[in-house]
Amino acid sequence: MLELMRKLSQAVISGDLEGAAGLAEQLLGDGAAPQDIIDNGLMPGMEYVGAQFRKGEMFIPEVLLSARAMQKAMDVVKPHLVSGNLPSQGTVVIGTVQGDLHDIGKNLVRMMLEAAGFTVVDLGIDVPADRFLEAVKIHRPQVLGLSALLTTTMRNMAAVIDTLREAGIRQAVKIMVGGAPVTSDFARTIGADGYAPNAVAAVDLARSLATS
Amino acid sequence: MQSGCRGGQYHPLSDHALQDIHEGGLRLLEEVGIEVNNERARAAFARAGARVEGATRVVRIPRRMVEEAIRSAPKSVTLYGRDGRDDRYHLILEENRVYLGTGGTAVNVLDLEGVRRPSTLEDVCRLGRLVDAMPNVHFYMLPVYPHDLPPEDVDVNRFYAGLSSTPKHVTGGVYTVEGVRQTIRMAEIIAGGAGELRRKPIISFVILAISPLKIDDLYGEMLLEIASAGVPVIVPTEPQCGSTAPVTLAGNLALFCAETLAQLTLVQLVNPGSPVICGYVGTVTDPRTMGYSAGAVEMGLLNAAAAQLAQYWRIPFYGTAGMTDAKVPDAQCGYESALTTLLVAMAGANYIHDTAGLLDFALTMSYEKVIIDNEINGMVLRALRGITVNPEHLALDVIREMGPGGEFLAQVHTVRHLRQELHLPRLSDRQPYDDWVRAGARDTRRRANETARSILDAPPGRVISEEVERELKRNLPNLRAGH
Repeated sequence: MLELMRKLSQAVISGDLEGAAGLAEQLLGDGAAPQDIIDNGLMPGMEYVGAQFRKGEMFIPEVLLSARAMQKAMDVVKPHLVSGNLPSQGTVVIGTVQGDLHDIGKNLVRMMLEAAGFTVVDLGIDVPADRFLEAVKIHRPQVLGLSALLTTTMRNMAAVIDTLREAGIRQAVKIMVGGAPVTSDFARTIGADGYAPNAVAAVDLARSLATS
Repeated sequence: MQSGCRGGQYHPLSDHALQDIHEGGLRLLEEVGIEVNNERARAAFARAGARVEGATRVVRIPRRMVEEAIRSAPKSVTLYGRDGRDDRYHLILEENRVYLGTGGTAVNVLDLEGVRRPSTLEDVCRLGRLVDAMPNVHFYMLPVYPHDLPPEDVDVNRFYAGLSSTPKHVTGGVYTVEGVRQTIRMAEIIAGGAGELRRKPIISFVILAISPLKIDDLYGEMLLEIASAGVPVIVPTEPQCGSTAPVTLAGNLALFCAETLAQLTLVQLVNPGSPVICGYVGTVTDPRTMGYSAGAVEMGLLNAAAAQLAQYWRIPFYGTAGMTDAKVPDAQCGYESALTTLLVAMAGANYIHDTAGLLDFALTMSYEKVIIDNEINGMVLRALRGITVNPEHLALDVIREMGPGGEFLAQVHTVRHLRQELHLPRLSDRQPYDDWVRAGARDTRRRANETARSILDAPPGRVISEEVERELKRNLPNLRAGH
C-alpha cells in the first residue's frame, strides 16, 4: 500500500490525470482510508510540487496540471469521506471588474486558489459592482478578489469597494486586488486590504487575509 | 546538454560570391604564396612539389596540392569530453552542427569583486568550474594566461587546470614545443593511452597563422608536432580589415581562405588524414584608433561567410563570436555579444569560440559575463531550433477543445511541450516591477555576480581520479596540484 501511495504522489507530481484517479480507486479497493490517501498520497505530491515551484524548477502550467491530477483523485476519494466534505481553506469570490474582458490572469489565480484548497466563486469578466455586492452577500466569502488589466478599468475597483461600503458590508470581507497595471500603492489608495503581483503571491495573500 | 543544434539558416554569400572568394584564396596561394618561417615546414612543402623561394621563404602552393589536402582531411571531427565514454560531452564537428564555447587567451580577469587584474592559474580552474555549470557553453577553451607560472610550465598546467575543473572538451592555444609534448603526454595518461587519445581526443590545440600570409617559425614547429601526433588541431587566421587585410570584407575572406588552407595543407602533407579544423578570427580595425574590434557587427558577417566557405570545402570550422569591446558587462557588452553569436551560429559554424566571458577586445575574461553569455547562448540555440510544425505542434485539436475564450494554462498539451518549446531563462528578469524591487532591484550584472558566487562557493567536484593524478605527477614533475 505504501508503494501505491508513493505512485499516487508521483502521478500528482507528473500531472498524470488518469493515473492519479486510477491509483486512488485502487487504494480504496485495497481498503485504504480516504483521509490516508489524501494525507499520504496526494498531499506529499502537492507539497513536492510547491517546493519545486518555489525553487523555479517547476512552472505554473505544470503546477496547475498537478493540481488537476490531484483534483481527479479527490473526485474519487471525496464520496468516501465520512462527512463527504473536505475542510476548505475558505471561500474567495473573484472577478474581473466592469469594462474589462481579460481573464487569463484571474483564471490563473482561481486555479491556484483551488489547488491550494480554497472554495472559489468566479464571477467571470466585465462584472458590475452590484454583482460583486450580491455575491458577497450570498457566499459570505473571507476574501474578495478584484482583477483588472487595463489602466482605464483599474478605477472600477474603487467603485466596487465604494459600493460595498455604501451597503455597510465593507468590513465583512477582505479585499485583494491584482492585474498588470495595479500596484501596492494603488491598492492602498482605493482602500483594498492587499495587493498581489502574481498568482502565487495571490494565494499567499488570500491565506493571510482569510485567517486574519 | 543542448548541443549539436543545426545552423545554416543564414547565408551571407551567394553561390557566385562563394566561388569567387574560394578561387581568390587559391590564386593567392599559387601566385603570391605564403611566407613559411619554419624550415621543416618549408621542406615538407618542397618535397610535395610546391615552389619554395629560399631567400624570401615564400612558398607558392599549387591548387591541386590544396585540393588534394581538402580531400584527405576528415570531413567530420569528433571532440570528446574528459571521459570518452560519456557521450553528453561529445562534439561532432561537421556540416552545420553548432557548438558554443569559451575562447582564449585573455591576460586579465574582471573578478567577482569588480577588480580587473592579471589572470592566474587559479582563474583557469575557477572559470572552468563556471563553464562546467553552464549548460549552453559546450566546451572549455582555456580563456586566460596564468601569469603566476614560468612560461615553460604554462602549457601543461593550463590544460591540466582545464581538464581537472570540467569534464567538457578542452581546447587551448600553446606556447612552447616542449609544452605541447608534455600536454599530449598528460592527455594520453588521462585518456588511458596514446591510442585511446587518438581515437577519442579529449583535448585539441589552436595554432594561428599570421596575417597577411605568414606562418611563424615556432608556431609552425608546434603545428608539425601536433600534426605528427594526430591530435586535432585548429588552424585559424586573423586578418583585420584595413590593417592586416584589405578593408573590404571580401578581401579579408580571400586571405582567410589562403591562410587557413595553407595550414591545413601542411598538416595533411605531414600526416594525411590527421584531424584539422579550419578557423577564423577575422574582424575589422577601428578606423579611429586602428585598434582591433571584437564586437563589430562585421565580425559576425565575416565569420558567417567563413562558415559557408568551410561548408563548401566540407571541412569542420572554428568560428568566432560573442565578444565585445565594452570594458564591463553593460548594455554594449550584451548587444555586441548577442548579435555576433546569433549571426555566426545561424550560419552553421561548428565550433564557435569566444562565446562566453570575453570583453575588453578579448583582453579580459569576466566571471560575470560567462553567466550572461550562457543566457545569450541559450536564446541563440533556441533560435536555431526554429519552429516545429506538425499536427501535434499545430495543436488544432487543443484549440478546438478550448474554443473561443478558453485558456491553455493547465492543459496536458501545455505541460507536455513547454520545456522543449520555450527557452526558460535562468538569469533574465521577468518579474513584475514590485517583485523585482522587493528582491533588491538587482540588474543583470549583479544577478550574474551572485550566480557565479553561488557556483564557486560550492565545493569543487573531482573530475580526475586521485590515482590518475598520482600517475600524472610521477610522469610530469612540473605539474601543479589539481586538488
